Amino acid sequence: MSVPQYRKVAALALVAGLGFSLTACSTKGDDGGNDAAGKVTITVDCQPVAAQKELLDNWNADVKEFQNQNPDIVIKSISVGQQCNNPPDFTARLAGGTTTDVFYGYMTDLQQVLDSGQALDITPYVNKDTISTWDSVDPALKEVFTDGGKLYGVPVKNYSMGLVYNKTLFAKAGLDVDNPPKTWPEVREAAKKISAADKSVAGYAEYSAGNTGGWHFTSLLYSQGGRVLSEDGKKAAFNTAEGRQVLQNLKDMRYGDDSMGARQLLQWGDLLTNAAAGKVGMFIGAPDTTQAIVSQFKGKFEDWAVAPLPGQTDLAKGTLGGGEGYFFKKDLTKEQVEAGLKWIAYQKLTPGKGQFDYVRAKPQNYPVGLPQPLLFANGSEAQKQEFDLRKANANVPVENFALFETKQLPIVGEPRDAQAIYAILDSAMSGVLTDPNANVDTLLKTAEEKVNQLLAAGS
Amino acid sequence: MSIATATVPAQAGAVAPAPPGITKRRRRFQDNLTGHAFLIGAVLCFGLFMWFPMIRGIVMSFQRTRRGVTTWVGWDNYVRIIEDPSFWVAWKNTFYFTGLALVLGFVAPFFVAILLNEFRHAKGYLRILVYLPVMLPPASALYLFKYYAYDPGEAGLFNAILTFLHLPTSEWMQSPTMTMPAMVIASTWMNMGGAVLIYLAALQNIPGDLYEAAELDGAGLWKRIWHVTIPQTRLILALLAMMQIVATMQLFIEPLILANGAGTQDSATSVAYLIYQHGFFQNDLNGAAALGVIMLLVLAAFSAVYLRLSTKQD
Amino acid sequence: MSRTLISHAQLRRGRGRFLYWALLGIIVTAFTLIFIGPLYWMVTGALKSGQELAQTPPTLFPHDPEFTNYIDAWTNLNLPKLLFNTIYYAAGAVVFQLILDTAAAYALSKLRPVFGNVILGAMLATLMIPAMVLIVPQYQTVISLPVLDISLLDSPFAIWLPMVANAFNIFLLKRFFDSIPEEIMSAAFMDGASPLRTLWSILLPMSRPILGVVSIFAVTAVWKDFLWPLLVMPSQETRTVSVGIYAFAAGTPQNVVVAASVIAAVPTVIIFLIFQRNIMSGLTTGSLKG
Repeated sequence: MSVPQYRKVAALALVAGLGFSLTACSTKGDDGGNDAAGKVTITVDCQPVAAQKELLDNWNADVKEFQNQNPDIVIKSISVGQQCNNPPDFTARLAGGTTTDVFYGYMTDLQQVLDSGQALDITPYVNKDTISTWDSVDPALKEVFTDGGKLYGVPVKNYSMGLVYNKTLFAKAGLDVDNPPKTWPEVREAAKKISAADKSVAGYAEYSAGNTGGWHFTSLLYSQGGRVLSEDGKKAAFNTAEGRQVLQNLKDMRYGDDSMGARQLLQWGDLLTNAAAGKVGMFIGAPDTTQAIVSQFKGKFEDWAVAPLPGQTDLAKGTLGGGEGYFFKKDLTKEQVEAGLKWIAYQKLTPGKGQFDYVRAKPQNYPVGLPQPLLFANGSEAQKQEFDLRKANANVPVENFALFETKQLPIVGEPRDAQAIYAILDSAMSGVLTDPNANVDTLLKTAEEKVNQLLAAGS
Repeated sequence: MSIATATVPAQAGAVAPAPPGITKRRRRFQDNLTGHAFLIGAVLCFGLFMWFPMIRGIVMSFQRTRRGVTTWVGWDNYVRIIEDPSFWVAWKNTFYFTGLALVLGFVAPFFVAILLNEFRHAKGYLRILVYLPVMLPPASALYLFKYYAYDPGEAGLFNAILTFLHLPTSEWMQSPTMTMPAMVIASTWMNMGGAVLIYLAALQNIPGDLYEAAELDGAGLWKRIWHVTIPQTRLILALLAMMQIVATMQLFIEPLILANGAGTQDSATSVAYLIYQHGFFQNDLNGAAALGVIMLLVLAAFSAVYLRLSTKQD
Repeated sequence: MSRTLISHAQLRRGRGRFLYWALLGIIVTAFTLIFIGPLYWMVTGALKSGQELAQTPPTLFPHDPEFTNYIDAWTNLNLPKLLFNTIYYAAGAVVFQLILDTAAAYALSKLRPVFGNVILGAMLATLMIPAMVLIVPQYQTVISLPVLDISLLDSPFAIWLPMVANAFNIFLLKRFFDSIPEEIMSAAFMDGASPLRTLWSILLPMSRPILGVVSIFAVTAVWKDFLWPLLVMPSQETRTVSVGIYAFAAGTPQNVVVAASVIAAVPTVIIFLIFQRNIMSGLTTGSLKG
């Protein structure tokens, strides 16, 4: 074989074999900071998806308005799905370093974000000058995004769990809409009546799969005054009278009264689908689940109200809370960080603008008046402004949430290793909801052993 | 694998006859270069996505990455993974699924193929039917089962049929004992088409006179299947059994979609799902890598035994 | 038609004939129910309202068909994009596999360079390694390719290149090439044809059936794969159909999910029905004999 031909073959093989590297290079996003015209570009994720039409329109309008006000900043919005931190994708983006410049994270993600080494310490940048309402932001919430005295994220939302209930179904069952259940025995009674009024309706619905079962078990446990882990976080602490009560309540409703529907193994979307279809009387959740029911699952917000989380003998002793925020990618320039903060300040932290633009949201098919996102500390200036605006523009009766708002229950955060523990607790939840002969003590004991094992192995 | 080694010819040497001396050596060198030039693309891909990840997986399983810093941690990841309460459950479930799938998903297509091979009519139609589910996106097929077939109430397709036949209904995915059979049924329905077609091809290659001779010897239907059909398709059966076992050991999408992950009381947790949980939910890629290495060892042990058995029979 | 398990003669007479037709009837009915039944249920179920779906016993025909589920699914799922992605990945996988694996198999079978058998052995050794075992390190590799430090996330190469590392295909192709007589090759070389030319104009035309089989395998593999695209295609814009439906299902009413599943299945089923003759004959004659 002649030399030129040999070269041709080798070249062909090399191109085929290595050529990808050239092409692959071009697929890597190139959105490095400042361009020639002196404009600063930042990418931001968690843009609403097309299915959330109004939210998306609002977001896009905000971007436009913000860029008008700040002609030197370009915001590139990226949508990452309906749930902004869907775990496998979130992990992929963190591990691969393909997060946007300013990226969404849930409060319990801090550890993972830090482990990935992707987050920037923004302590020097965040103050009253960059975010005018910063001093009004709830300090507890700032604490959530702080590690070792350094701030890594800007909180943009805060929530706590309550009892979400369907007023229409309440009325149908002859229950007092304005006087929702305050204790679990009352919930049980109400659930029984709702299911009796319409056999296809679950009086009370609960998760038991995809780690959401464990999440709600935790919330129910807090309402009883229990805790998932001991003070030092080294042992499981839920195999107690409180834990037993949680499972017993569910078991009684599921198999004693048959008021929880036949379909179990539900996770987030399943339950909300049923709720939107008018098949769920009550469930526990944050006020914004009513938003999801309306915007994603085509339910009616007129149906829904939120009451404080019930407890065993009185209102709950504690309720699960959490928050969301935005992190900043590690290699951003000073200008990019400042641009990002400016955007967050505008869209997330200014009463009357962005997510607080209640005037705009009011006529949209979107509930206004929810006691949420509870970003600002009680009594702060921003909180007062936000509250007045919300009240003035509410399109849902504020009374629906009055009780929830006035009876602020103590908020308890999630345990460490939350997802791993939730995965274990799912099994206890599914046990009590799918097996009529399930033994509450055994389920708890098994789960306790597993969690202890997990904690021992993890440390 | 016996099939592989049996067909790789042992001969070596230059392709074209070459003149002796220096030219021969040069020629040989050039031929080698050409040969490797043809190989390089595939070799690079194997290197990048098979050989290197294998080593990397083992390395990762002895490391831990925290705060962007990677340190050696010895056997810690293995200890954590094995002490994970779901570890043994996941293996038990995975083996159970593999076994059940072997009974249903491996034997059923073989008999379906034998049956189809006997028909003189509607052959094409039946073949298309069997292969049709293979063309559905797996997620589509599984949502169909999840929402319509396995509904635990009486509105579900399966329960409606059972009620119609006056048989006891089941809660399917909500019953710990039915979870696995239900997943095997769905998985077999959507995957058996490929196996049926491959068996059909093998069956068509069996010389007719073998059956003739067996029949003359007085062999009945079952005897003919046992003494002619099975020995004649042995190699294909062995190959597909192997492939099926390796495939079912990786059980993932069925529990993820049908059982929302772990299923009721962990009855659906599989090893693959556990890898996914550790790697992508629990911020523990190193643990997931360790679990991958354990899976590799189990499969290696399994294939060693399998090879031993299948070569013994030769 | 050669003889099979049961002789023709037996099926043409009296009892045998009756049994044959009875069995055929039963099987055709049963198979239609088993394999089309669920599909029918899926198509009509998505036309039912939530109330009707919850009815017991379930209704055979939708009482008052609602197309809203299909419309919602179509508008929100962005199916054309998902389908395009999947087809794009599948086509690329076919091209890469055909070029690189054929070249490799050709080299291993006919050119036999030094260490060829070692390389073949190392490739075949991966036959027994299921994808799941390597998922984490492969994923790490895709996130940052060694030496080059390029991320292939959201790039089609993250699907194409690992597909090339398919020992089964190389094995199939090599075995086929092995069966092509050495004399043909020698004759070509004597005529002064280069290895590339020999491959292109002599071997490949003879190998059409096996190339067809490899292509079908590649397409099916991309079509059926789930976890890998779920991990390496984290953006909405790069998802495959199966992953797209899964992601869509997390926040969507059940009936809309099923409607989306139906819509997603339609194009491939149509493609399959059009090309079924080729696919079937490719799968049944081309490969795996004995």
